[in-house]
Amino acid sequence: MSRAFHFARLSIIRQPARSALGILGIAAIGALLFDMLLLSRGLVLSFREILDETGYDVRVLATDAPPGTGPQLTGAAALAESLAAIPEVEIALRMRVDDADAQAGSERARRITFVGADPRARSVWNVVSGRDLPAAPVGRAAVVVNRHLAARMKVGVGSILSITRECDSRAAMPALDFTVVGIADFPFDSATESTVAGAIEDADRLCGGEDPDRAEMMLVRSRPEAGAFAAAAAIRAAHPALYVVTNEQLVERFSRLQFSYFRQISTVLATVTLFFGFLLIAVLLTVSVNQRLGEIAALRAVGLSRTRVTAGVLWESVLLVALGGTLALPLGFALSAWLDRILRTLPGIPATMHFFVFEPRALGLYVLLLAAASLFAAAYPMRIVSVLPIAATLRREVVS
Amino acid sequence: MPESRTALFLIVLTLLAASSGGHAQSSDTLPGVIVSRQLMESRALRVGDVIRLATRQSGEDARSFRIDGAYEPTADPMRFAQQRLELRLHLPDLQELLAGAPRHPAHGLRASEEIEAEAVTAINVALKDPSDAAAFARDIAARVPGIIARPTSAPNERTTTFIVIERFHLAIAIVTVVGSAVFLLALMVMLVDERRSTVGILRLIGFSRGRILLQIFAEGALIALAGAVFGILFALASEGLFNRFFQWRYDTTLVFLRITPDVAWRSLAIAVPLGIAASLIASWTLLRQRLLALLRR
Repeated sequence: MSRAFHFARLSIIRQPARSALGILGIAAIGALLFDMLLLSRGLVLSFREILDETGYDVRVLATDAPPGTGPQLTGAAALAESLAAIPEVEIALRMRVDDADAQAGSERARRITFVGADPRARSVWNVVSGRDLPAAPVGRAAVVVNRHLAARMKVGVGSILSITRECDSRAAMPALDFTVVGIADFPFDSATESTVAGAIEDADRLCGGEDPDRAEMMLVRSRPEAGAFAAAAAIRAAHPALYVVTNEQLVERFSRLQFSYFRQISTVLATVTLFFGFLLIAVLLTVSVNQRLGEIAALRAVGLSRTRVTAGVLWESVLLVALGGTLALPLGFALSAWLDRILRTLPGIPATMHFFVFEPRALGLYVLLLAAASLFAAAYPMRIVSVLPIAATLRREVVS
Repeated sequence: MPESRTALFLIVLTLLAASSGGHAQSSDTLPGVIVSRQLMESRALRVGDVIRLATRQSGEDARSFRIDGAYEPTADPMRFAQQRLELRLHLPDLQELLAGAPRHPAHGLRASEEIEAEAVTAINVALKDPSDAAAFARDIAARVPGIIARPTSAPNERTTTFIVIERFHLAIAIVTVVGSAVFLLALMVMLVDERRSTVGILRLIGFSRGRILLQIFAEGALIALAGAVFGILFALASEGLFNRFFQWRYDTTLVFLRITPDVAWRSLAIAVPLGIAASLIASWTLLRQRLLALLRR
């Protein structure tokens, strides 16, 4: 086997330009294939990571409509208490999301998303400077803002924000002043979104108590010994009218519907790319073998076995693919960063979401697919070599 | 949040289908609705059936409607991954349905008492002169503060999405072209190498390098043109297959792939020069060698 490998290595070294071009071609194709494998599950993995990072594993909504498009939960405080009393539930967090306008100083008012949450529970945002909302109200109502809003409205910790909200009655409500106590990253914010988070009671106050005690959803953390599925089942049993979904189910639903386009486009492109790679290796090897028929016949005539010569062709294919495939990995990572940057400019995509996400499974599949391509591509040239008539080929070489 | 749209969405989600025989009220007196083909199929509905629509999942505020027809929803690229379970009803019927919703539900649902009976999500305006759209929108926005008025042709989130998707596909195409170019060059290097002795003989009998290069140029152009035309024909032939698969997969009439003359010309404009360049580069490496080297002497 090592002799066959050596034979293949010499064949590649002897024709450097041809081999280099072949390896480069495989590298370009391999990079695209690798990227398509990263894309096929990238959104799902990224989405799961964002969901898990919030620290809550069950969501409770009024209906199965996506948050912000369906009806809100009413009687939210009592519902949160009722959920928290379920043995499988560790904590339940009310969350309310409203559109509002914010103004800092004499700057013009800007459209923001106001997230109201219970400050006593673990927040879903990560404070990057300043501090989180106080558990109990102290002085002027406090808010945390995202980095985009802080930069856009030139506010920092200690700044005052005046916030007004358009309420259902369309009545003009007076603006309420809030102190910015922290700057935070919000998991589902898009790059251009301005988000402010405050206590859920303050969200109610923005409309003068017109529509109090509502929530967009309840975020629930299950007890570790029970798990998300058991907690979700217990909530469904206690509140059959509500829509209860675990992170796992949410990811599965998105994977099946919303993210399916990118999965399918990646499948199509990966298939085409793989076929293209197979074609490239097969053509390169076939032409190369056809050009060396006389030489191969001579080697056979001086005693090299059929197995050794055939294995040499196989090794040549494996070597070309291994070198090209390895070179494709850094290329693929660079290319995926570029493509990811393009796709992340899609409107409404959370800033922390990625389309191309690495996982060992993708690398394993990549190696497997390239190995299969190199084996299939070598099949035809191997057959040419194995059935080569030695005497007739040598005679033809001498005559020509 | 657009209230009527939310409510309509809710209605669709809480559709309660019932057989026409199950209702005491005559179906002739009921208000009519038209139902999307997808909803008709998923709930095994037929024209003439009586359905009950509610704004709550429990169905306690349900009202009966008669199905007057089915429609194919306008293909929407922004919503192709969603099942189009929807129906259309007259605006007064919708407003009446929303106004009649129950008050103070225990939990879970927003009372429709807060939804103004006259509220609508949008008003579409057809101008006598469509070119006045931008000026009209500016005028309306100035006269009615708080109203968002914009021409339907104005760029919005929808157009941005497609610009991004187009950029993504262009990037993929660039990588594919680079890979193909390298493949082509490798292939041409090998094919030209096979002609080493032929080129040597041609040089020996007096053909100049320029003339041989011209011949190779013509040959490369012909092969590249044939390849590009074959590629376009293959794309045209597979276009239907590709579209049918995705239309079946997403249950939509949306066209996913369309080979337009512009796309075909662009393919030719890239493939032909690329093919010619590959054959010339590969040949030049051979032609610049000394004559005896070409003849392996």
